[in-house]
Amino acid sequence: MLEILIFGAVTSAIYAMLAVGFTLIFGVARILNLAHGSFYALGAYGAYVLTTIFKVPLLVAAPLVVIGVALFGMVVERVLIRPMRTSQLAVLMISLAVALVVEQALFLVFGSEYRNVPSFSDQKYVIGGVDVAGQRLLTLLVAVVSIGCLYLFIQKTRLGSAILAISQDPEAAQYMGIPSDRIFGVVMALSAGLAALAGIMAGPFLSVQPSMHLLPIVKAFAIVVVGGLGSIPGSIVAALMLGYAETLVAYGISTSWTEIVSVAATLLMLVLRPAGFFGKRAAF
Amino acid sequence: MQLKNIDRGGAILAVAVMAVLPLVFDSRYLMGVLTVAAIYGIWSVSWDFMSGLTGRENFGHSLFIGVGAYAAGFLNTLWGANAWWSLPAGMAAAVVFALIMGIPTLRLKGPYFALAMLSGAVIMQRLMLIFWEYTGGEEGINGIEPLIRSPLYFYWFVLGVLALTVALLGGLARSRWGLILKAIRGDEATCQAAGLNVTYYKIASLVISAAFAGMGGALYAHYQLQVSPQLFAVVTSITIITMVYVGGMGSIYGAVGGALLLTLMTELLRNFGEWRLMVYSVALILILFFLPQGLVAPTWHKMRQRWAGVKS
Amino acid sequence: MFKAPFSKRSFSKLALALSVAALLSPAQAQQGPIKIGLSTPVQLQVGRDTQEAAKMAIDEINAKGGVMGRKLSFVVADETENPEVGINAIKKLTADEKVDVIVGGYTSGVTLAQLPHIASAKTIYLGVGAASPAITAKVKQDYENYKYIFRTGPIHAVHQAKGLVEWISGHLIGELGLKKIAIIGENAKWVQDLVPVLRKGAGDVGADVRMVEFFDTTTSDFSPLLSKIKSSEAQFLVVVLSHASSDVFAKQWYDARFPIPYGGIDVKSQDGDFFDRVGGKSLSEIAVNFAVRAPLTVKTVPFFDEFKKRTGRVPVYTAFGAYDSVHAYAQAIDRAKSLDTNAIIKELEKTSMPGVAGQLEYDDSHDVKAGGKYMNLLFAQWQAKGERVVLWPKNLRSGSMIMPPWLTK
Repeated sequence: MLEILIFGAVTSAIYAMLAVGFTLIFGVARILNLAHGSFYALGAYGAYVLTTIFKVPLLVAAPLVVIGVALFGMVVERVLIRPMRTSQLAVLMISLAVALVVEQALFLVFGSEYRNVPSFSDQKYVIGGVDVAGQRLLTLLVAVVSIGCLYLFIQKTRLGSAILAISQDPEAAQYMGIPSDRIFGVVMALSAGLAALAGIMAGPFLSVQPSMHLLPIVKAFAIVVVGGLGSIPGSIVAALMLGYAETLVAYGISTSWTEIVSVAATLLMLVLRPAGFFGKRAAF
Repeated sequence: MQLKNIDRGGAILAVAVMAVLPLVFDSRYLMGVLTVAAIYGIWSVSWDFMSGLTGRENFGHSLFIGVGAYAAGFLNTLWGANAWWSLPAGMAAAVVFALIMGIPTLRLKGPYFALAMLSGAVIMQRLMLIFWEYTGGEEGINGIEPLIRSPLYFYWFVLGVLALTVALLGGLARSRWGLILKAIRGDEATCQAAGLNVTYYKIASLVISAAFAGMGGALYAHYQLQVSPQLFAVVTSITIITMVYVGGMGSIYGAVGGALLLTLMTELLRNFGEWRLMVYSVALILILFFLPQGLVAPTWHKMRQRWAGVKS
Repeated sequence: MFKAPFSKRSFSKLALALSVAALLSPAQAQQGPIKIGLSTPVQLQVGRDTQEAAKMAIDEINAKGGVMGRKLSFVVADETENPEVGINAIKKLTADEKVDVIVGGYTSGVTLAQLPHIASAKTIYLGVGAASPAITAKVKQDYENYKYIFRTGPIHAVHQAKGLVEWISGHLIGELGLKKIAIIGENAKWVQDLVPVLRKGAGDVGADVRMVEFFDTTTSDFSPLLSKIKSSEAQFLVVVLSHASSDVFAKQWYDARFPIPYGGIDVKSQDGDFFDRVGGKSLSEIAVNFAVRAPLTVKTVPFFDEFKKRTGRVPVYTAFGAYDSVHAYAQAIDRAKSLDTNAIIKELEKTSMPGVAGQLEYDDSHDVKAGGKYMNLLFAQWQAKGERVVLWPKNLRSGSMIMPPWLTK
């Protein structure tokens, strides 16, 4: 029982980091970014490259990778996505194409074998009789802190207010002189950076191979649809729901069924209540 | 556009050339490549019929393909049925899934419909893996019989099916049906207000699209002699969408050209095997940017203008 | 809109013409070298080593003048772990490259999918990596169509199960007194063939099989599974892994300081750099190897040394099969004094030569013989600094066993 509580929390934490970024970029820029999983993958591979090939200590490598992927996200938004913004479907296609290109690039450079990302913590902790790897607990901590910071940033700073303004009413924001385009870049960077951080933290204990971007994007999308597109609190709640649902299924039935949980949840939500639980915008 | 004699002539010429090509070069390898290209052509044309005309892009077309293929696999191996039953069975299975998926999701807006269909394909892929005791899991079903033993006759058969598909769906697209579907792409609400049963047309077009895709899937199963969950993969759907983009969305016949071009292109790169998907993805990006109207259909339009002075 | 120098129309026509032309690169002339097609997942270690070992054998044979005065050459096709890609690889090798023989294989599912296409191309196939008995079953059932299929290695899943049972009986129960075992395996075809035999066999020799579970090859989080194993009160965890995430499993097992030692068939663990790849976290894992650098036959030690010299690493099991296959094929041609496929098949069936892992002979199902002087299962353990110590069979033991560091009392 306690095992499910703890492992479910770790899983939900990773999902929350991915979902929050995904829903942020959608809420603000109406971009359904299917390349979001690629940021996660690049985070993990970036950590691998810097620590294993360039022998950079993990503590230094991690922030470098986060910043690097954030910048990559900005570039992708500026160069590839912005010109396509007239059609939501075109944005979807091109973000998907970017995801495929990144996957193939990783495959060509690193091969399809699993790579080893070093962990921050190699300790084992025992909580109430349950053996938990230190890295997993750290992931949980990092998730809470980073999402918390993001939330504070949006609520308390001027840039954050601008972001809120654009997500609530893009036209009015423009009349007020808020530079939407530049803000999109910033939001994309935040979203990508958060995803990369998830990759760095989870890479050590989950699998790191070129197609690792697929499942996170499926789950992020599932969470965001369930929680409501554009709603950060919604994403957090939905991430918890999904994380625990998956963990319960894994322990109760078998791990093979966990992937279906998220995809089925997406499908059901889309069919029954496209606005999600907390969403303002419907998928109609 | 009206079907002129030049179009009919062009089509007949194209089919004749494709039929004769492997004989001229006496290459069994070329025949294999063209067979696969033709099957992709059937899939692409079926996708174009629904998504190209209505503008509702279906990211889960692989669901219908996979279902048709697995139907063929089960029928042929587990139930020992004659291979020819696979074709109608594949169509029927795909139709069933089109109804299951389509009815609840067709009211969703563009990207959400796309992703809902994608979810359907992913779930199916997962289910094939989970119930591996019945479906063969990752390795799928082996030992499927070939439909026609001679590779040449099978190739011609597939070509025939392709030609029939293009003729049927193209004809539908040019009829009142096609007009309505295109109108739905333009403005659904107006169509509804005008008294058209929009839901019926959307579902019907998805069902027709699925039927042909499922049949293509069954053909593929009897060519590869095996089916695996890879058929349901996102990559399959994306490949088909790319082919239709290259061909020219909504043109129906363009999709065949797109399928041919892309299949031949990947074969050209076969010595760089690992780079294949990379090239696809980059090609997709380039096409989205520079050739939103596609390559094949606009090219043919210019050609027929030059040769027959026909303005379409 | 700018005017391009090449109009779109002529560009596409040219492209089409070029494509067709490129596809039809001329087939090999008859008097050229004998072409060996390697169908193997080039991205993985098993694929790389298949190629290296085949190359080694080819070089050795060519240095002695080749076969019937002709040299050997090879061409590689990537079959990956995906049946569809595998089928395309076979088509490329047979219809396009027109090879004389195919050597390779790894995933049983891929090989099974390839069989009808190999058979219809009437090309001899020597398997080096896939273990499912279903692969050679067709040879007996439909000799006329499937006589082309041979398996040089590894010994098939049922033989492997028996090898595991022997080890459980002699080592785990006999020497360590560990009776309670848990068995987990990835749900791949060869494992599905293997586990039932293993379970029954283990029970027969006195083991208390606490649980048996299959899991998805794509599983990335093993915590639920590990939790189940812990509550089964097993004393040893027997694994059957090939494609699954052995890397991730080892890391998660170690990170959780899992209180049960593990071992069994773990193909990825055969890779020479596995220990380093997982940051040393496979310490104390006991994994099956089909050969080690010991005088199992006259060829074993020279093979390992030459391979190490050429590549700087220790070969994985597909290398043994590839090396032996090429030699067996060449020798069969020599004996048949002809390149007629049927004649070669007849001679291949009579093969009896020292291979890398044991004496190589094929049974009446064209499957490699196992046990005794033929190929066997060897069990080696990862110890400190990435050293591999052979623990079983006893006559090959090179050191004493260690337990996971956190379990030493």
